[in-house]
Amino acid sequence: MATRTHRLAIACAALLLAAPILTPATLAADVVDIGFVDQAALSNIRQFTDANRQLAGFKSDLDKQFAQRMRSVKDGATQQRIAQEFQNKLGTRQRELFGPLFARAQVAIASVASSKNLSVVVDKRIVIFGGQDVTQNVINLLAGPGDPIPPVNTPPPSSVGYVDQTQIDAIPKLKSANEEFQKFQADQQKAAQAKIKSAKNDADRQSVFKEYQTALADKNKSAIAPLVDKTRDAIADVAKKKGLLLVIDRSNLIYGGTDITSDVTSALK
Amino acid sequence: MSQARSSKAGAFVACGALVVSLAACARQATTTAESPRPALNGHVGYVRMEELVKKHPLYAQLARLDEDMAALQLKSVGPEIARSGADIAVEAKRLQSELDIAATRTKKALADKQIEYAKLEQSAINAAIGGGGSGPGGGAIAGGIAQQARAQQQSVLRDAQKNLDTYRREVIAQDQSAVASLNASLAERASRTFRAKADELQRKETDFALSLATEDSAERLSLRTKLSNLALDDSSRDDVKKQLDALDKKESDALAALKNRDQSTLAALQTQLHDGVRADLRAQVAVMQKRTLVKINERETSTRQQLIAKLRPLPQAAGGSGVNVPAGVAPDMRSKLEALHKKYQSDFDKDANRTIASFQATRADLTRRFRELGQVDQTAQAGAAKQMDSLQKQRGDLYGQMVAQIGREVKTIAEKRGINVVVSGVVAPAGGVDLTADAEKDIESLHE
Repeated sequence: MATRTHRLAIACAALLLAAPILTPATLAADVVDIGFVDQAALSNIRQFTDANRQLAGFKSDLDKQFAQRMRSVKDGATQQRIAQEFQNKLGTRQRELFGPLFARAQVAIASVASSKNLSVVVDKRIVIFGGQDVTQNVINLLAGPGDPIPPVNTPPPSSVGYVDQTQIDAIPKLKSANEEFQKFQADQQKAAQAKIKSAKNDADRQSVFKEYQTALADKNKSAIAPLVDKTRDAIADVAKKKGLLLVIDRSNLIYGGTDITSDVTSALK
Repeated sequence: MSQARSSKAGAFVACGALVVSLAACARQATTTAESPRPALNGHVGYVRMEELVKKHPLYAQLARLDEDMAALQLKSVGPEIARSGADIAVEAKRLQSELDIAATRTKKALADKQIEYAKLEQSAINAAIGGGGSGPGGGAIAGGIAQQARAQQQSVLRDAQKNLDTYRREVIAQDQSAVASLNASLAERASRTFRAKADELQRKETDFALSLATEDSAERLSLRTKLSNLALDDSSRDDVKKQLDALDKKESDALAALKNRDQSTLAALQTQLHDGVRADLRAQVAVMQKRTLVKINERETSTRQQLIAKLRPLPQAAGGSGVNVPAGVAPDMRSKLEALHKKYQSDFDKDANRTIASFQATRADLTRRFRELGQVDQTAQAGAAKQMDSLQKQRGDLYGQMVAQIGREVKTIAEKRGINVVVSGVVAPAGGVDLTADAEKDIESLHE
């Protein structure tokens, strides 16, 4: 009888050991593999503050040039073209200054994540509670001598998925809906500005503003909200099929994660 | 045997319970908002932060800041401000062009006069020589010279008066425009100050209301718990209700008192700002008018002096390469006439230079005044940008404060439910535990 009891106990133990393997992937997605980084703290390290100072100086000069160019220009299209030109100049300089720094930081984050067996590292701003804060480890690595060494392995599969919203927004029907909304907004803005200009008192101006906001909200509800819902459903479907726990926007993701953008765009097309 | 069977059954139950627990863990990992279940350790939760923010007691304030920003953007992003800068540039250009034309006209007038003066000088020399017995009749020549001189004097006076009038009109028009811009700018500044104070007071009122509610929450909860006790007799129930009412009254009285004080503060501030704007405007307009008067007076004086200088030497001989002295004139007369020519030529040059310099000064002055007008406009634009920055900062601070408070509530819920990580910013619900509904309840209780 004792032998039978022992056998039973062994069988139970085996079952217990097998359970984590047999249960769905979500169970294995233990939260200890989610890390986060405070990007504001990273931006305070010397290399970034130096680059910021340089960019601010560049922007200050650019602003003066921009103001000078705009002073004599009345035509709206030309104003827009000049504004775009200056914006591009600023963007180029920003990439020159920050590109190498971001690349270095990315390697440092990957290195820390790998050493701590994290499958994903996200922006601190979206973490309300829990997770592993690896900010200081990354700062130490960046402040240390030499360049951080990239990890040998790629990030392990993660139960946190992400989508690139800019790619989703580029889907023709979403793009045209967004463009239509922007045009509507610009038209409404123009009309509201004209009304505000001729308004006699604050109450009239307030009424124009309320009317403008209501028009935008209505348009958003009829043209944009249904598409947003549809997109969210598509993301949720893909995520469930892939056994993901969460899906976040790429802008909040720093390292790792499972990219489901192409699945979502295919589902939406 | 019976014991052995019992022991076997116990082992089965224990193993079964563990396996079921693990399986439950796995299922729980995919729990969504539609099927909320108690979470187990090691799971991920999420909240829909934007929805929670809308339930926060300070949301009304946040929404108002958003509205203020949208309204400001609507006012300042419009084409009219950009156009006003361009308009000023066009206006300055037009003025520059007019002044250039005036300068050219003046130079031409001076050139014409130069020729005339040369003729007059020649006539005067002839008259002088004639008076000496070697030329035509001096009286006839002198009469012609006087007539031409009068015509020239009138022409010079007319031009000078016209230029002076134009200058005066333009300076006054600029002043009026500058006063209007200044008035708008001061009123806008006062309005910003008032709004900032109103916002600050409202924030304090909200904080105060929140602090009152927080202070009394324990007592209120205790009283409500007593009320929910069914065994409470009527007298005790009434007593508890009275205590609750008294608590409400205490809070509402304290809040009302604060609001009354704030209203008085705002009313006083409004009067102060109104008076301040009027005083500032009066002071700045007085300075502006004084400066304008000084300028017009200076211009009048300078024009008068120039006219005196210009008219005094008439008739004179100006321009040409030298005095045209007939042959056979005695050397002392020749040198006298040459000296006369040199003097008039020099006077004329000085006079011409002064007139041109005067026009250039007018042009520079008007351009500067227009630039000042542009600066007033730029100041207004910079003010709008500054106000936008301030609103954005206020919004950021308030939002941060609200999110931090929500975070604390969410943390408590997560700990109670054994959830290790909670995130926001989830794009779509897939798995994880949605804690939004629970957090909403806690946040709504902050209103009480």
